Amino acid sequence: METQLVLEKWPGVVSTVIIGAKKEAGGSRGNTVTIGGQNSLPLLFKEGAIPHKPKIAFEIWDIAPQDWPEELISAYAGAINDPLAWAEKCVNEFKAELLCVKMQGTHPDFGNKTPESAAKFISLLLNKVKVPLIITGSGDDAKDNLILPACSEAARGQRCLLGCAVQDNYKTLVASVLADGHSIIAESPIDINIAKQLNILISDMGLNLERIVINPTIGALGYGLEYAYSIMERARLAALSGDKTLASPFICFIGQEAWKAKEARVSVEQGIIWESLTATSLIQSGADLLIMRHPCAAQQVNNYIEKLFKE
Amino acid sequence: MQKFKVTFLPDHLTITAEKDKTVLAAAISAGIYLNSNCAGDGTCGRCKVIVNQGQVKSQPNGIITAQEKKNNVYLACLTTIQSDLEILIPDSSRMDKDIQTDSLRCDATIEPGDTPGKNFGFCFDIGTTTISGQLVNLNSKKILGTKTAYNQQAAFGSDVITRIVYAAKTGGLEKLHNALSGTMNQIIQELVSEHKVDLNAVNRIVCSGNTTMMHLLLSMDPAHIRRQPYVPPANFPSVLRAAEAGIQINPQGLLSCVPGVSGYLGGDAIAGVLSSGIYQKEELCILIDIGTNGEIVLGNRDFLVACAGSAGPAFEGSGVTSGMRASSGAIQKVSINKNDFSVKYSTIQDKLPRGICGSGYIDLLSEMLASGIIDKSGKIKVTGKRIRSSDNGGEFVVCFKEEIQAQADIVINEADIENLKRSKGAIYSACAILVKHLALEFSAISKIFIAGGFGTYLDIEKAIRIGLLPDLERSKFIFIGNSSLAGSREILLSSQARRMADALASKMTYFELSMDSEYMEEYSQALFFPHTDLAKFPTVKF
Amino acid sequence: MALSGLDIYKLLPKTNCRQCGLATCLAFAMQLAKKTLAIEKCPFISPEAKTILEAQAMPAIKLITLGSKESKFDIGNETVMFRHEEKFRNPAGVGFIIEDGLSDSEIRERLRKINQLKFERVGQQLSVNLVALKQNKDASRYLEAVKLFLDNTTLPIMLMSNDLIALKQAVIISQERKPLLYSAQQENFAQMGALAKEFQLPLVVTAQDIDQLSRLTKELNGLGVSELILDTGIKPLADKIWDLTQLRRQALKRSNRALGYPTLAIVEQTDPYLEAMEAGAYIAKYAGLVLIKGWSSWEVLSILTLRQNIYTDPQKPLQIDPKLYSIGQVNRDSPVLVTTNFSLSYYTVLGEVEASKIPAYILSVDTQGMSVLTAWAAEKFNAEAITKSLETCGVKEVIRHKDLIIPGYVAMISGDLQDQSGFRIIVGPKEAAGIPAFLKKLN
Repeated sequence: METQLVLEKWPGVVSTVIIGAKKEAGGSRGNTVTIGGQNSLPLLFKEGAIPHKPKIAFEIWDIAPQDWPEELISAYAGAINDPLAWAEKCVNEFKAELLCVKMQGTHPDFGNKTPESAAKFISLLLNKVKVPLIITGSGDDAKDNLILPACSEAARGQRCLLGCAVQDNYKTLVASVLADGHSIIAESPIDINIAKQLNILISDMGLNLERIVINPTIGALGYGLEYAYSIMERARLAALSGDKTLASPFICFIGQEAWKAKEARVSVEQGIIWESLTATSLIQSGADLLIMRHPCAAQQVNNYIEKLFKE
Repeated sequence: MQKFKVTFLPDHLTITAEKDKTVLAAAISAGIYLNSNCAGDGTCGRCKVIVNQGQVKSQPNGIITAQEKKNNVYLACLTTIQSDLEILIPDSSRMDKDIQTDSLRCDATIEPGDTPGKNFGFCFDIGTTTISGQLVNLNSKKILGTKTAYNQQAAFGSDVITRIVYAAKTGGLEKLHNALSGTMNQIIQELVSEHKVDLNAVNRIVCSGNTTMMHLLLSMDPAHIRRQPYVPPANFPSVLRAAEAGIQINPQGLLSCVPGVSGYLGGDAIAGVLSSGIYQKEELCILIDIGTNGEIVLGNRDFLVACAGSAGPAFEGSGVTSGMRASSGAIQKVSINKNDFSVKYSTIQDKLPRGICGSGYIDLLSEMLASGIIDKSGKIKVTGKRIRSSDNGGEFVVCFKEEIQAQADIVINEADIENLKRSKGAIYSACAILVKHLALEFSAISKIFIAGGFGTYLDIEKAIRIGLLPDLERSKFIFIGNSSLAGSREILLSSQARRMADALASKMTYFELSMDSEYMEEYSQALFFPHTDLAKFPTVKF
Repeated sequence: MALSGLDIYKLLPKTNCRQCGLATCLAFAMQLAKKTLAIEKCPFISPEAKTILEAQAMPAIKLITLGSKESKFDIGNETVMFRHEEKFRNPAGVGFIIEDGLSDSEIRERLRKINQLKFERVGQQLSVNLVALKQNKDASRYLEAVKLFLDNTTLPIMLMSNDLIALKQAVIISQERKPLLYSAQQENFAQMGALAKEFQLPLVVTAQDIDQLSRLTKELNGLGVSELILDTGIKPLADKIWDLTQLRRQALKRSNRALGYPTLAIVEQTDPYLEAMEAGAYIAKYAGLVLIKGWSSWEVLSILTLRQNIYTDPQKPLQIDPKLYSIGQVNRDSPVLVTTNFSLSYYTVLGEVEASKIPAYILSVDTQGMSVLTAWAAEKFNAEAITKSLETCGVKEVIRHKDLIIPGYVAMISGDLQDQSGFRIIVGPKEAAGIPAFLKKLN
């Protein structure tokens, strides 16, 4: 070629995180999900290795969601009122390889379930479905500090992903995750510096950087998507340049944000495209793990990923 | 308007005050300065007083505890006079206004008092938090003495913005001016009497300070300093009669101000450039003034760029729980035992500790990090007998009151650490942004001049370990003390220096950081110990 | 390589004469480096320095204007690989391919629908940019279809045809509209170049690989045609992204003038979801013009919204209309919260107020897009500004209480604000996340 290509070879690599443990690894999952491991910018397959596709996890709750729009609720028919049936439907009908369960029912304002009942729910869920689990708290810091250790213990050895650790409240969760062999979600408010600081603080407590996934906190399409987009792009560039403290895969709570948008509630098609395009745009800036709500959107994004990785 | 008598204890000062006036205002009228970092907004909680007798009205606030209420403790700024009063002012609410003679580093020799010369002058460094004055024999060009005091304006807020806002209130400008000229006159008085110099033989004063301080000294409205772009007013006098500025020396005596560059970069920075000599150097130098306004100048004989990284007064010992100026009894050196967290310290003049000064805080933070008491974000992560909780987060006891025969323990809490972290972050990131704007690297800098009111001691190594200063070869650092004062002294002694200061002011390129998004980014990165990007501090390991 | 401020300073007179309007030569040099001022501002610049600096100021990716009159738009002149490095400048054009095989009424209907694709989001107008007519039938049908285009839309037009005779006739009747020609290839570049030159029209250059592409652009430059758009043809998504990335890198990192033009990406997808996702990928990386077929409003809105996001200037945050917003079923006792008009501040507060399920008013004060603390420091979110906003927003007419909730970060203005506005000031939480709990306690 007479035009010399501009190729970028990066010294850094995104860390590889495995979610789920099969029997031989001490768990009871039927499959595992691996993310990360790339040493190239997203979609630039010619420049480096991208060993793992971005993965989609279906979001379910431990109680029937109160504020989900009809477009979402109807996609799960009646199953949504029974979290275990809901989980089963995701796996059997929509072929979910990973579930993300939000323990909303433990929130003081939404049921205030006890740590014991939360732990029991996780045990039942682990028996009901054999896919790996992501477990997140209700967002009430004080309550999460009681709930998440209980869930962590109930899922000991299953190599779940637990979250979310934040800068002002990370120690309890890190301790649980360390004790029970899970990985952790480190959440920062659209702020690359806090993301980095939190990773340093967590690894200073003895949790290996390879067991951290960054939740950069995203905005949906039209609602600040570009902030997370650029934060993720910057962080990924830093990671590839060799900054190990930012070299974690990204988890993005796509469904939760996309369905807040008023546009998403105009029609089913618009809701699905809103969630899908939020997801694929963030894949382009580095998302590795997408937490999604609408099965059709998950299917569309999955088609897109397959197409991207076909060659 | 109804008037009442208000008596302040333990001073036994009585004044007459109008009904509904605040106790804080009455105290100021009586010449008693209370701590008031929030300028009387009722948010800082530092102006607590005890009402022994009489009726007051007070606004509710979240600061006074139920126990304090029972003991008649009130916030002076939110409490108004409703009858004759007797008010007790606890020491903890009183601003530290004793003037301290410091041994400042300077190349001139200090001459014993009783000089029979007839021509004296003063140079001043007028800082937002601290004011230093120096008496100089203009014939022999020798320094007779130096004194430093807290700027009494601190009663009206701890940063320049709050002061500018205060100046806009009715009578605000006058009060600020009086507080400033009062502090200066006090320094002058004490130095002339100590050295038996006739006030009439003091003919000249040169002041360097930030632009706001210069405005307030000359009783000029500083409001436009905050508006962009700042244009220095045409009527800003270069020289005037000292008496016009309310400064008492020879009635014919003159006062001049070192020219500034912009609203937030004043003559103090120019004076610093002058005294450090970086404008003559071939190699790239940086001057870092670790003060409230945090001026940074980068350059050499070819160019000079500058910015001000508003650092706040924490390193001057203000706005932090046990903070004090670098004066007698201030803890300036600290080491902590990694096993039992016991503390060893040394104080200025080896007196019993009264508080912690800037260099003490630098040592303390570095030691707390090294011994694992705090994590890299500045949160306390261990337990022990010196560690407890407080209203301001976790707290570490440096000295128990019993060991130091004091009313209160000397402590540092998480809010103090946060405050110090912001200060060090502002200084470091201002340096980083200057270097970045010129597309340079820190490693290109050959000499780093450190200025500031640290007294005689500053541990560069520890300042680097907490991320206040860039991690560069230690031999490149030169601690020069109060460079603003030294520069104003040069101007006092030489008209050539005066002309050079004018030339420097027109040559200096100023970067405004408040609207610079890259600065905000640098600043956020610096809010970690030593820095979010650990690779920028390769020699620092905790 | 771009010159730094200090490099440029060395070329300037260093007299600090202030004729350029700045205090020092170095300050001027910094502005030149950022390309925010022109070298002409310096009256004393030496001719040698001027030559160097002018070369430096030339855009790496040529600015191309498409269309004419009111509907024309610019693409190109991009300066960075990543939007956080500065910003993406000229939003990618979004256009629609229509084939001449459709019936007249279908074409009319399609154009009517496309003309209506206008949306308003966060104070900005979002609209589509172009319609492309693709020839599948004979020359006379193509000309008929061109006429339909001319009569039924004012959007810029792109003519897609390999039939040079048909194309020339189409150009003759549409030249007023400055159509974009598609496309010059190895086989026809001389004729296409001549056509573009004769009518002074922009031209797409198509080649499968970038070597061939750069040979073609050089040839066309030789023919005097320099209004070019680069196209590497239809390829799988990842390959296309690779091409677009490589072209951007060639222009910016290699200063490769032969490839210093904006790019075209055509999406060939029948499924509207996949079409939107693929178009989105090209908008993000790095197409100047994206052509799709689907025209349903939900699909187009999502694509245009993504473009709006990607092309938002990271230095100048999006602002919302500063006014009083009512959230939920408000009544005369609903709480009033005040925040800035920085869109992220507003939407964060909005999200939390909605999450609280407590109907409330949010007053967005004009802070020129600054966030709470920045605006406070710049006197744009102080007692005066908020009082003024309270006076003019009409809140007093819709509530019967006098309570105002301010962000915890500006607790220090509560006294002044209370005095000036006459409202009772309640200091809210510092972080928006605290709003639901705060509002519940308030009730």
